[in-house]
Amino acid sequence: MTVDMELEAVLRAPELEMPPYPPKVITLANSKKMVVRPIKREDVPTLLKVVRPTLDIPRDYYDIVGARLYAELLGWYRYRVRNEYCLIGQVDGFVVGMVNGRMWDQNIGISLHTLAIDRGLHVGAHLFASKMEYHIEHLGQQEVWITAESPIGFRRWMIEYGLIKQEGVQHELGGATSYKLTRDLYFETKPRLVAGVRPVPQELLDQAMQSILIASEAEVTEKICGVKGR
Amino acid sequence: MRDVAVIGVGIIPFGRRDEDSLLDMLAYSSLKALDDAGLGEKGVDALYVANMGAGILQHQTAIASALADRLSLLPCSADTVENGPASGASAIKNGVLAIASGYYDTVLVAGGEKMREVVGWKATDFVATLTHPQVEYPYGITLPGMAGMLARLYMEKYGLTEEQLIAVSLKNQRMGSLNPYSHVEMMITKEGIHDHRDAIVNNPMAADPLHLYDMCPVSDGAAAVMLCALEKASQFTSNVPVVVAGFGQATDTHTLQERDDPTELKAVTLAAQQAFARAGLTPQDVDVAELHDAFTILEIVESERVGFFKTGEGGKAAERGETALGGKIPINMSGGLKARGHPVGATGVAQVVDIVFQLRHALPEGRQVKNAKVGFTLNFGGFGNNIVSFVLRRAE
Amino acid sequence: MNRMDQIVAYRCKKCGRIHYPCHDRCLDCKGRDFDRLVAEGDAKLLTYTQIFNLPWGFEVRFLIIGIVEFENKVKAMGQIHAASLEGIHAGMLLKPAWQPVRQVAGEAVYGLVLYP
Repeated sequence: MTVDMELEAVLRAPELEMPPYPPKVITLANSKKMVVRPIKREDVPTLLKVVRPTLDIPRDYYDIVGARLYAELLGWYRYRVRNEYCLIGQVDGFVVGMVNGRMWDQNIGISLHTLAIDRGLHVGAHLFASKMEYHIEHLGQQEVWITAESPIGFRRWMIEYGLIKQEGVQHELGGATSYKLTRDLYFETKPRLVAGVRPVPQELLDQAMQSILIASEAEVTEKICGVKGR
Repeated sequence: MRDVAVIGVGIIPFGRRDEDSLLDMLAYSSLKALDDAGLGEKGVDALYVANMGAGILQHQTAIASALADRLSLLPCSADTVENGPASGASAIKNGVLAIASGYYDTVLVAGGEKMREVVGWKATDFVATLTHPQVEYPYGITLPGMAGMLARLYMEKYGLTEEQLIAVSLKNQRMGSLNPYSHVEMMITKEGIHDHRDAIVNNPMAADPLHLYDMCPVSDGAAAVMLCALEKASQFTSNVPVVVAGFGQATDTHTLQERDDPTELKAVTLAAQQAFARAGLTPQDVDVAELHDAFTILEIVESERVGFFKTGEGGKAAERGETALGGKIPINMSGGLKARGHPVGATGVAQVVDIVFQLRHALPEGRQVKNAKVGFTLNFGGFGNNIVSFVLRRAE
Repeated sequence: MNRMDQIVAYRCKKCGRIHYPCHDRCLDCKGRDFDRLVAEGDAKLLTYTQIFNLPWGFEVRFLIIGIVEFENKVKAMGQIHAASLEGIHAGMLLKPAWQPVRQVAGEAVYGLVLYP
């Protein structure tokens, strides 16, 4: 697609400086090593391939989360969403989950979505925690605004983190009730919710950085819905 | 009294089965049991259906009548049996009595539950309705919470360790990974759920001192068994009949607080003693057992109370591998509730199905206990206040 | 001395066994006559747990629940009011109170709350 750069210069929003998320490795319940790292804008088309199959999975609201995440990532790729980032979890090079968010301004972070492809291993919980870590510890923000589109998300985020309900404040994801994580709350919950070690052993990091491996559409559906199609 | 045999079994994969209704699951497992028994186009005299919560979870009652109709078993007698998480074994017990008495010759028993239709905390609330409605339920007590209190008492009294609980968890999850009907097929490691610093997130506290991986999952599923008078078994099938050599059932106080020593689990001991006495066998005769490990602590305490190990020795035995395949008494070679899953109404039936597979010597290497002749099941209702156990033996 | 008028136990007139909640026949001797016995005194903690993954109706991260024995031997379950399990141990004495323990349809349900 040809891009009119003169027009783009008008349409593209100016972006804030965002220091990159330093990769870390998390040991999962099955001892597999999950590398959590940021992707680059040019990685988005590859990542969209793993999001696409979720659009047809109503279970646990994967279709809603997937559709919105797809649009957010595409928007970032085409410079239509401001200050966005995406972190992925990789096991043996394969994407097992992802999270995204953005900076509203220097002080406030917006948590967008969390998508776990491999289920039953706390992949979503680990990645969500990594996202909070990024906003508070690396972007230096004061608070992160969060909402939930599924009961699992509500349970995991609002209850587990003891998030603060923001009466009368609308989250940009459609105006659902907004909750916030403050710096104090983050550091209070960090010991029990934020895992992983740095630096990532070079061999593991090289494997993760070499290429983003994507399971087939059928495999993604199977992973989300269960190995026996249930 | 006549001898009663299991001549057919059926089970469907447990897990989350969004596409199937409760009746679908009961029908699928029942048809498998009828076919396995070689019933062909014949009917049965009676149908017992084990189910705990369709009235609450599916807003549907009279499940047995509905299943009799769906399976074209009319005009058989049909009853739904509800005994909390021990509904399955209770339903089989009723079937056994009906045949042993000479009243019926053929009885189909199916057990099923559809629990994943509601979100997790509603399922937790549903199961908690078996606690005392005035002096327990209002406080938010859950079954995992009851198990947590039991585990704490047991730890203080007998020195149970976290490693011993983990040994049960790892064993059952490993066996579940080999069982095609299992809900949880994922292998876990001690490193991932305990030793590594990241385990604090992987395996969070669920009901102190019990962690997430000490708990069974919330499952959908169904299982069925076809019972028949032993003397008539050969009219239907060439399957090796498995004889219900004995059953036992006992109750205990509704509330945990009214038990002199909650770690005793008196009803477990009594139910097992009755079953062994009726069978004319002892715990030492058992080759393979399915115990009710809704929580890892239960497998350990039950293994002592039924007589496999001395009091206070169950945890150590599990850690030494004595309950694993090839050990002194292999327990939960199906993966148990911990991995096969725990659709409450189905569990007691599924336990018997798994023992029948063992006694027929029908399982692949890795799960089959060599030359198994006697099996034992224990289905734990309420929080230990209604227990049903069976001793089963291979008819030679 | 603390007196929990809301926790009424029943002592069998024949054998003395204390029941809470009430039973129509004594769990030991089958007797049918009981004296009312109000829970009194401090409550000794017998066992406890901290429960996460709560049932529908609780919007908190965890509950601490225990079984206690009052000085007059009445045993009951209650919620322990504490921020964590730190300092909680079997055998400790707790102060009982009758306070809201949950909400049902917007209405408070009262029960035994125990303070370290």
